[in-house]
Amino acid sequence: MSLFIICVFLAAGLDAAEIAESLVRIEATSQEPNYKAPWSPGEVSSGVGAGFIVQGDRILTNAHVVSNARFLTVSKEGDPKPYSAKVMYVAHDCDLAMLAVDNAEFFNGTTALELGDIPAIESGVSVYGYPIGGKRLSVTRGIVSRIDFQTYSHSGMDSHLTIQIDAAINPGNSGGPVMQKGKVVGVAFQGYSGDVAQNVGYMIPTPVVRRFLKDVEDGKYDRYVDLALTYHNLSNPAARKALGLPADDAGVMVDSVYGGGPSDGIIHPGDVLLRIEGLRIASDGTIDLDGGSVPLTEVVERKFRGDSAMLDILRVGASRQVKIPLGDAWPFALQSKAYDEKPQFVVFGGLVFQPVDKNFMDAYKPGNLRLDYLFDFFVEDGIYRDRPQLVVLSNILPDSVNAYAKDFLFSVVDEINGQKIHRISDVASAFEKASDYYVIKMLGVGRPLVLERKAVEEARSRILQRYGVTSEHYLKK
Amino acid sequence: MIRQIVTLLSLAPLLTFAAPKQLINHPYAAAEPSPSPLDEPQNTGSQGSRMVAENSILRVNSTNQAYDFFQPWLKKSPVSRRGVGVLVQGGCVLVTAELVMNSNFVELEKATTAEKSSATVERVDYDCNLALLRPSDPGFLEGMKPLTLEKSLRVGNEAAVLQLEPNGEIAQTIGQITSISVGAYPLENLGLLQYKFRVPLQQRDSSFTLPAVSDGRLVGLLMRFDARSQSADLISTPVIRHFLDSPAQARFPRMGLSFSALRDPQFRRFIGLTEPGGIYVNEVSPHGSAAEAGIKRGDVLLALDGHAIDQDGNYDDPNFGRVLFSHLTNTVAKLGSEVTFTIFRNGKLIEIPAVMRAPDRSHVVSDVQLADQPPDYIVLGGLVFLELSRPYLQEWGNDWVNAAPKRLVYYDAFQNELPEGRGKIVILAQVLPTPETLGYEDLQNLVVTEVNGKRVQSLSELAEALKKPLKGFQKIEFEEDPKTIFLDAASIEANQKALIERYSLPALQRL
Repeated sequence: MSLFIICVFLAAGLDAAEIAESLVRIEATSQEPNYKAPWSPGEVSSGVGAGFIVQGDRILTNAHVVSNARFLTVSKEGDPKPYSAKVMYVAHDCDLAMLAVDNAEFFNGTTALELGDIPAIESGVSVYGYPIGGKRLSVTRGIVSRIDFQTYSHSGMDSHLTIQIDAAINPGNSGGPVMQKGKVVGVAFQGYSGDVAQNVGYMIPTPVVRRFLKDVEDGKYDRYVDLALTYHNLSNPAARKALGLPADDAGVMVDSVYGGGPSDGIIHPGDVLLRIEGLRIASDGTIDLDGGSVPLTEVVERKFRGDSAMLDILRVGASRQVKIPLGDAWPFALQSKAYDEKPQFVVFGGLVFQPVDKNFMDAYKPGNLRLDYLFDFFVEDGIYRDRPQLVVLSNILPDSVNAYAKDFLFSVVDEINGQKIHRISDVASAFEKASDYYVIKMLGVGRPLVLERKAVEEARSRILQRYGVTSEHYLKK
Repeated sequence: MIRQIVTLLSLAPLLTFAAPKQLINHPYAAAEPSPSPLDEPQNTGSQGSRMVAENSILRVNSTNQAYDFFQPWLKKSPVSRRGVGVLVQGGCVLVTAELVMNSNFVELEKATTAEKSSATVERVDYDCNLALLRPSDPGFLEGMKPLTLEKSLRVGNEAAVLQLEPNGEIAQTIGQITSISVGAYPLENLGLLQYKFRVPLQQRDSSFTLPAVSDGRLVGLLMRFDARSQSADLISTPVIRHFLDSPAQARFPRMGLSFSALRDPQFRRFIGLTEPGGIYVNEVSPHGSAAEAGIKRGDVLLALDGHAIDQDGNYDDPNFGRVLFSHLTNTVAKLGSEVTFTIFRNGKLIEIPAVMRAPDRSHVVSDVQLADQPPDYIVLGGLVFLELSRPYLQEWGNDWVNAAPKRLVYYDAFQNELPEGRGKIVILAQVLPTPETLGYEDLQNLVVTEVNGKRVQSLSELAEALKKPLKGFQKIEFEEDPKTIFLDAASIEANQKALIERYSLPALQRL
């Protein structure tokens, strides 16, 4: 095994030795919140990832290497001393993070790596990191197989430009640099397990990395921006004729514009998008950018909060130009995995109430058809307009006070004592108001769940003690 | 289970169980001797069963062919099913509806002589999973003797399940009734009385449509069997009797309400209920028996024709023990008969009479089953349109709830909550690519809202709307993306023949 590593090391030549000086091994101790016991700080676990040094004595790595981290140490190849590090910025929507090291000595004798461009298809690359199979640096080589948009599995919702390579990428490679001609051309971040596909690894290309570096220049990370609309292709000749479009294969038709998003009120469903920032939009929604054909959203991908996008549109046969001030589309956040956040909850009479998000659904897997619908179509069917949060009865800590509440598990709370529940904080405030009975109405359930105040008060300390509930609620400010 | 849709009905026939005088008038009861004491062991000796085999049971062979809802102009491969039917009064053979569902050809076969006659399905009711077959040869059943129905059964009673060996010998397996309760019947999900039966059966025919007899009388008809637990579900005698006594087209009456148990003392105090028992009405479906009678959400049903209803919805049946009150309303009661509920409403006790009705099918958004009828469809230039139904979703296999398109599954599951007058849900099921559908090849399972500016709530409304294209275009709008598509009306018209030939379609629509 060690023989193999040394061979590869030598084959990589002088390059590899220099790169090794910039490579960082990251050991993260993290604590993942337990959504099924949201008051608990969660189980402690540890993991190893890679990172590399960039300009300004900073370390770049993947967001997923340092997510939910409580304690981080970094070490250099050939130096046994671990240094304590901290997260400066983390971008969960593109799986990148920047670390700083408290002790500046760490950077003595290291070289900051430079970022390269998008490598050519079929050109060779080397992947550096600390994958399973040993403790020391490992290098694997491969070629660039494909350049395309891919979903970033860290959030599960965002897709950005991604480069597929055929070098082996394994757990522990995450965050390591992918090198070509002495420059970083990508950050290794995800792959398939061997039983799904062979020799398929993915790296984050430098346009995404550069965007992240630029975004944090002002001292905070603002996330990607989005138009928050959907469109469909206009390749059907009859559709083009009906809309009064020439047979020039340009333009897409807007289907939905999400309420509260950046395009709301500016773009209408049915509008035809012809150009974005002056670039012609083909009838399949692509534009020509930097010599390649990419989805029109790539223009928006490269923008920042506060920027705007100019669109040439056709509305009911008349052309016009509109300017969209870019921001993010918050309702989607519910459907992407969240990190570095404490789960919100309210415990009352042994009933646990929680807002629904992706983490919640993954933890509980409720298998409740109504809840599945509300979650899956939260954005598409505009459910968020009425209910910015879906609050459910997520768990019951059994006690005589709630002995008959089981039928209501995973129901969405609609009203408590006549007060509409739009978010978890409404649950807390409704229970704070004194009342002989607390009448909890659930969506789609005819019968309300009723608790007597007297019974709840009697059970209160008993339940907290019995189930080790350290706090009765956590609400984000 | 909070939501339990129950069908309720009327009460006059309650007396059927209590007063033998009424039984005399009962066509299927006339030949019955007076009931034997319930604890008397049942005789299932081989002598008796041989007589039964020769005189009252027949092998039934059915070749069934269901429609393919993915390609509604086609039928699937034929499937052969065999079961054992029972001769009942009136010259007909009783089998499960499932045995002859979508049948092309049905054949009756005498056990010992292997004489055969083709047969027609005289009546079928998918609510109760029962069908009556009549031989084409009127003299075929001559010399055979109809079986009478056993009236009352208790948990613990034994009965013999009859199967036929290839040589015509009767194979009888003794089993025992382990519970009697109202449970969902397989085809319509209607809750009706059924017996759970433990019996070590062997697979002999390709179905478990088999009669269970006791002391020369029919006890029930097997409709499900789980070989691992050796447990069977039997269609109960009251359900069989209701079916046999009802006029040809009558369906089982239903109450049309859902309820939840009233076990929680905090909730009972909250609504001020001091009476014992009772169930809470969660929902009343429009146009149903409960709605017409004026029963409302929030009512507490305390008693039904003098039978107290407990906190779980059960009453004490003189014959079957504690069973759900819906047995009284949907099986004991007949269509059109009246039952009276004692109801707790706003702190007062009131009596509300209800006339038992069959469910109003004209309001059903997604049909639970569509056996024996070809599904309607329209093909427009390659776009295939259907009405949403459970059989369409079931084409995704046993795991259809998770595998079928989610929006359609939700529409099917929560159809009762759709605004009244929603009509049917017309979907663009798939696209057969043609020059007219360029760019639309990937569209599938989209809910159609409007066509050429007209709301579309059935396939016939779709056909009407398609007759009036807008400025030469067929404009179709969907609930989801893409919201709007256009097709060239003239080009579709001109290429109809080419489309038919390209995909070997028998017709471009069936309505």
